[in-house]
Amino acid sequence: MKNKASLKVNLLKSTVLAGAMALAGTATQADVTVGVLVPLTGELGEFGKIVANGVELAVAEVNAAGGTKCGPIRTVIADTGGNPEVGIRAATKMIESDGAVAILGPTSGVMVALVDLAKRTKTVIMSPYAGTITLNDLGGDYVYRTVSSDLGDGAASGLWLTDRGYKRVAFLVQNEESTISPAQVARDTLEAAGIELTDYVIYNPGQPSYQAELISVLSHEPDAIYLAGGQESGVTVIKEATAGGFEGEWLFTADLAVPEIFDAAGAENLNGRAYVEFADSDSSLPEYQAFEALVQEKDGKAPGPFEANSFDMANLIALSLESADSCTGEGINDVIRGVAEGGEKVSTFADGKAAIAAGKDVDYEGASGPLTFDASGTVAGSYSIQEAKDGAWVNVKFYPASAFE
Amino acid sequence: MTLFAQYVTTGIVTGCFLILATIGFSLTRRVEGFLNIAHAELLSVSAFTTWGLNAGAGWPLLPAALVGIIVTAVVGLLIGRIVYDPIRGHGPAVLLITSVGAAYVIHGAMDAIIGTGIRTLDIPLATTYKFHGVRITDYQMIVVGLAAVATLSLALFLTKTKIGLAIRAMSANPSLAASRGIDVKQTSRATWLLSSGLAGLAGVMLAMVATLSTDIAFNQILQILAVAILAGLGSLYSVIAAGLIVGIAMDVSVYWIPAGYRPLIAFAVVIIALLVRPEGLSGKKAR
Repeated sequence: MKNKASLKVNLLKSTVLAGAMALAGTATQADVTVGVLVPLTGELGEFGKIVANGVELAVAEVNAAGGTKCGPIRTVIADTGGNPEVGIRAATKMIESDGAVAILGPTSGVMVALVDLAKRTKTVIMSPYAGTITLNDLGGDYVYRTVSSDLGDGAASGLWLTDRGYKRVAFLVQNEESTISPAQVARDTLEAAGIELTDYVIYNPGQPSYQAELISVLSHEPDAIYLAGGQESGVTVIKEATAGGFEGEWLFTADLAVPEIFDAAGAENLNGRAYVEFADSDSSLPEYQAFEALVQEKDGKAPGPFEANSFDMANLIALSLESADSCTGEGINDVIRGVAEGGEKVSTFADGKAAIAAGKDVDYEGASGPLTFDASGTVAGSYSIQEAKDGAWVNVKFYPASAFE
Repeated sequence: MTLFAQYVTTGIVTGCFLILATIGFSLTRRVEGFLNIAHAELLSVSAFTTWGLNAGAGWPLLPAALVGIIVTAVVGLLIGRIVYDPIRGHGPAVLLITSVGAAYVIHGAMDAIIGTGIRTLDIPLATTYKFHGVRITDYQMIVVGLAAVATLSLALFLTKTKIGLAIRAMSANPSLAASRGIDVKQTSRATWLLSSGLAGLAGVMLAMVATLSTDIAFNQILQILAVAILAGLGSLYSVIAAGLIVGIAMDVSVYWIPAGYRPLIAFAVVIIALLVRPEGLSGKKAR
């Protein structure tokens, strides 16, 4: 129904648009389209759903506050399955057929594949979880993310492994750029701290078994294993290492920071000796608490991983549209950095809209953090370590962005 | 030395899994005369049927696995009859490409039915046994045991039963077999049931050892192809030898070179073997 109504509105769009431009600042019937491009299927499907939900929450808030000056935000959603080729096809359709001014939510591989398209079509792309270091070079113009780069994850992991006082640590790293680059950073931290690295194994995912990779690791009996891998390989590795007699502790990376792990790998194998590191919002921030309350109210549960980053992403786009000269990707790109820093601090779209209407410069402080973009369009990150306790992940340590200075 | 023996042992288990995964594929190759790429997806059908009955409906593993194997055999037979039979006359290249399409259709159907994320069977964690310092788990022993039983029964079936002999006759020379009064259609159906059932058995092993996603079965196709190519067109025994060679070479290689190159080893072995012996281990020429 909603789509049908939106379609009708869209048909009117071209005729109304001229009037809307003249009447900027007053409510219009036209809407502005934002694409949500996430993996709804495949290994990262669970994350994609959370991201889409976070974006929809923000859009609902924006529209409830009267929408942007370009009209209410309409979202079009497409599934990439994590596949860059599919992502490019879907993004092209969003831009050309649906008139999307921004595309939110691609995963690392898709994001990198979209960089050219974004710059060529002057469409802003933004991700709440693409940590890939490739974007450290490519990002900045039309390409943004509300999450820190993977290198930050590596630094946080390294800090935790050092803080924990392990003497001997083994690394098991999935053969992917997104897992190898943070692992290198963690490895450097450990070596600088004089911790013995018993093994550094890079393995290929998609295998039925990882016994061959584990032989040397288990024979060295490390105090802890740093496992940077996906869910499919991760669960098999955990089970095989446990069956093989590994009695040390674990540190996992963000892919395993989901409750399903306890069912799949067995809670009894994780409780009290498994930890997980992931980029996280500072839950002590009032902005985060307000967001958490909103999610509780709407969905009846706590926010999922990267949900706050997703919520912020949509709010940044809405505020940028509000303060931009034109309702286009180019307009957003011109003002987004200014919206994220310097000016009156606002944490909701409604407050920001009022401040902009009053002629003030705004600084959006999001649920996931202060959100200031560096030259590569990346924000500084904070990280959480959670412990496996009674079959659930529980916070044990928080590293604010200042911990890495 | 123990460490090296451990790599060899793990390699034997890997090899046995590859034998189970390849043997049905090779049988189809010999009797039907084409590379059935969709074979790997049949492992997935069996693995998820077993998972659905075991973890979903709460059945014990054994009956769940049996139903999984039977369902897979029937699915394989249906695909054979509905998809491949009508285009048989177009030759192996068309059949090969069609089988890629069939693989996509099965994969898409699994995605639609099963959905995202990972799945595991509701079975206890493997128990590890140590023999002279070398570890082996109960599930690994089951893989080795079943590979032995499956190949032995298949060998007996092909040499001692009427239908088995018909399958062999078909694989040696289909037109001669037909002219000698062998029911080609019935033999073909038996082959589909048998080869898909074997894929089903491999799928159950996959479900037991691995963490399931809808992608994992198809990830095995390259290694299945490697074993099948190395084995050549000959007997069952060449598949056993090829499976063990590829499995052991891959796992033992980790002793010297980084594990990231493990899949590469499978193909390095195939390339080297084929340079020396282009017709494969069996030594028979393609028909």
